[in-house]
Formats: sequence, C-alpha cells, structure tokens
Amino acid sequence: MSDGGGESGKVHERPKTRKNLGSEDFPRALAKIAVAQICESEGFQIFQQSALETLADVAVRYVQNMGSTANFCANFAGRTECNLFDIIQALEDLGSVQGFAGASDIEHCLASSSTVKEFARYVAQAEEVPFAYSVPKFPVVKERKLRPSFLQIGEEPPGEHIPSWLPALPDPETYIESPIVKEEVVEPQTIKTEPEKQCRTEKSFWNLQQWLFCNGLEGSQREDPRNAAMTKQIQESNPFLAPPLQFGEKEVSSIVLPDKVLNNSSTEYHVPVMENCQVDTHVSVLETFAPAIESIKNNFHMSEEKYSLNRKSTVQFKIGTGKKAAGNMIELRALNNGVKKSSSWFVGEDEKDDKKRKAEKILKDSMENSNELSHL
Amino acid sequence: MNHNQQATGSRHDDDAALSEFLASLMEYTPTIPDELVEHYLGKSGFQCPDVRLIRLVAVATQKFVADVASDALQHCKARQAAVVKDKRDKQQKDKRLILTMDDLSKALREYGVNVKHQEYFADSPSTGVDSTSREE
Repeated sequence: MSDGGGESGKVHERPKTRKNLGSEDFPRALAKIAVAQICESEGFQIFQQSALETLADVAVRYVQNMGSTANFCANFAGRTECNLFDIIQALEDLGSVQGFAGASDIEHCLASSSTVKEFARYVAQAEEVPFAYSVPKFPVVKERKLRPSFLQIGEEPPGEHIPSWLPALPDPETYIESPIVKEEVVEPQTIKTEPEKQCRTEKSFWNLQQWLFCNGLEGSQREDPRNAAMTKQIQESNPFLAPPLQFGEKEVSSIVLPDKVLNNSSTEYHVPVMENCQVDTHVSVLETFAPAIESIKNNFHMSEEKYSLNRKSTVQFKIGTGKKAAGNMIELRALNNGVKKSSSWFVGEDEKDDKKRKAEKILKDSMENSNELSHL
Repeated sequence: MNHNQQATGSRHDDDAALSEFLASLMEYTPTIPDELVEHYLGKSGFQCPDVRLIRLVAVATQKFVADVASDALQHCKARQAAVVKDKRDKQQKDKRLILTMDDLSKALREYGVNVKHQEYFADSPSTGVDSTSREE
C-alpha cells in the first residue's frame, strides 16, 4: 500500500515537467540561438547569458505582438485569415515608436509603406546567415493508431444498434463480469478448467494494456506497476491462480487454502483477532501459521482416537451452532481421509460468516494443539 | 487629372515593387527559422498559409534584433573606449566585444522596451571588473 502511494506521487510529477519541456523550452532555445547568430553577425563576440535571454524574449514578444496586431486587423476587416496588408499595418504599428517616413500621412497607401521599403533595403544589403541547425516541424504530434473497426476486422457487431464503422470491442474477457467463486463444493474437474479461462482473460487484459501503451495514453502507461500489482492481487484472491508455495512437504498445501480464506475475511471485515495476523506478503502469513501447520502435521502422527477427542472438545466449547459442528465434522473426516480432500472442502466454504468463524477457529485450534503438544 | 494619373502610376510601381520584394523573400532565408516564427504567430492567433508573409515577419524580427544589437554594440564600444582611456592595463581584457545587460537595456529603451532585469552576477566575466572600475 505504501509503495502504491509513492508511485502515485511520481505519476503526478512527471507530466508536469514533460509538458514544460515540450511546450516552451524548445522554441525558446531556438530563439536564443537565432538571436545569438544575429548578434554575432553584428559584431558581438561574447554574450551574457541574461542579456541573450532578454533579447530572445523581446524578439519573441515582437513576433507575437505582430501576430496579434495583424490578426486584429484581419478581424477588424471581417476576415479570419491575415493577408499582406494586415502585416504591413502591424509593422507600421510596431514601428511607430521609432517613427518612419510618411507616418504623419494617415491615409497613405499601405503598398507604398516606407517600412516595407526599409525591409527591402535591409534584405538587399544584409548578409544571409542561415540558421545553424535544421529545425524539425514542431510541436510533434504523435500519430495514434486507432483501433480497427468492426468492418475492418470483418466481425459482426454484437448488437444491431451498433454500426459496423465503430471501433471493435475489445476481447470480451476484458469487460464481462468474471464469475465469483461458487459457494458449493468445487469439483476437481472445474478446478482443472478454471485456470485456462483465467489465463485467457489475463492475456486479453494484457493485449488491451499493450494497445493502450502503444497509443501513449497517459495513465495506463504509468500505472504499469500498479496494474501488475492488480493482476497479482487478482491472482491472489483467486485460489486457483495462487502461485505454488515453496514448502517442500505435501501436507502444507492443504493449509494454503485456509490462508486464502483468512485473507478474504480480513479484507472484507474487521476481525479483531485476525487483525494482527493480516500481513501483505504471502510468506509472512505462512510464517504466522507455521506453528499451526506444524501442530497439524504432528497430529497426523498421533493416534486417531486422541485426535478426535481433541476435536470434539473444541467443537463443544467454541461453536454452539449446528452448522459449525457439521463443518467441523466434515473437517475431521477430511483430515482423517487425507489432506487432499480437505482442500476442496475449504474452497467450498465461502460464506462470509463461516469464513470469519473458520479463521478464528483454525487459529484457536492450532493454539490448543500446540499447547497439548507441549504438554505431551 | 494629371496628378491623379501620376498617383495611379506610382501606385502601380509600388505594387510591382511590393510583389517583387515578396518574391525575393522566397530566396532569402532569414536567420530566424520559419518554424519558430510560425509557432509564435500561431500562438498569437495569426492564421495564414502563405510562407512569404511568415518570411516577412521573420525578416522584420531579424531587422529589429539586428538594430537593437547594433545599438548595443555602439554602447559597448563607447564604454570600452572610456574604460580604455582610464586604464591602459585592462585593455587586453576588455578588447573583446561582450553583449552585456547594461548595453542591451540602454539600446532597448530607445525601442520602447523597459528592461529592469537584474543581471546574474555569476554569468558575466566582466561584472566584477565593471564594479571595480566604477568604484574608482
């Protein structure tokens, strides 16, 4: 959680700098180079950085001022596009501080403006200093790859109300509601089929994300690590996609599912007892329950009678409801029959209250068992 | 009548000269790149597909900057001459022409631009020299 916050902070910062860099820095740098070149041709050899920046700024303002004045003149005449005479008018306006020949004559013809003649003279006599670099067309607009339409794919739109020229929908796995884990006992066959489906879903998610990434959509691009975390979370919340545990023994795998149940319950409500046991990483959860696992393993070596006795006492003590007792009976049977079966039982028990109680019970059981072990 | 004819005749000449000048702009490449001028003109709301007009603006800007720079150069030269008169030994150091904020602000004032920008003390090789020479 904490690193997620750090990530979001970074996300907020990056676009800001990028925007500044893209919009203003490049033309400013170009203007500085151009101004420096002009000054050099005038005879300067060294420049103060601040003076150069000021002069470049003034030059840029000159251009912008001229543009807005010319635009004003065009709009004043009822046009949207500027023509030569708007620019000459703007030049005269800007040159009026200096003064020019014929400025006193208000009704002089713009075509015979002395400012333009001055420019003509300047162009004729000034040496031609081309810009030092070849300037690319900017700002660069990144071309976006559009999603192909239904027509291009050759696919029928899912509804009649959707015209075929609209972009095709992404893979259905990305937007349909994924099935929640069933509340009944999960058959082994379904366990087999489930991962394939899930894999496909992830694949289509991945494709979608890649496409977004290619198009440079902000957000999805940066949230890559977060998305990864999300997929991880999905994996973790789904017992079928849980990564294999690194415990060597086979018995341990039966304990994994209670862990899942615990995780689910702790995320959904506050279980005061479980609170301190809720840890983000998988390993630490296992570590927390290591004594319980050990004790259960040891229980297997004990005689069946003793084990059942212990179990019965816990049932009578802790849980009053018949349902719970039944659950315990099942568990007992499962434990007796073998570890593998108990796993299917744990998946099936998905009811929220049961989960909560289950979690508490497992912890208490393990505590008691370990106590007994020490007594023995 | 005669006067009117003359006026129309001169107007034709002006038109011809103007179009000739505009045509000559196609061959002339100003120091300020077209893309830069186009960018800033576009930002100010100017719309025109004609490259010649953008070139005209570029030439106007170039001329403006060149005028300011030549004025600043004159200021610079005048100051250097004064300094050299005072101190012969600094001649070597001050020989090169430096565009300083001082000269630039003086030159820009004549063009209606009031620069009150403090120069950065770190970026000028002659800043310290100037202050000592002023103190004396």
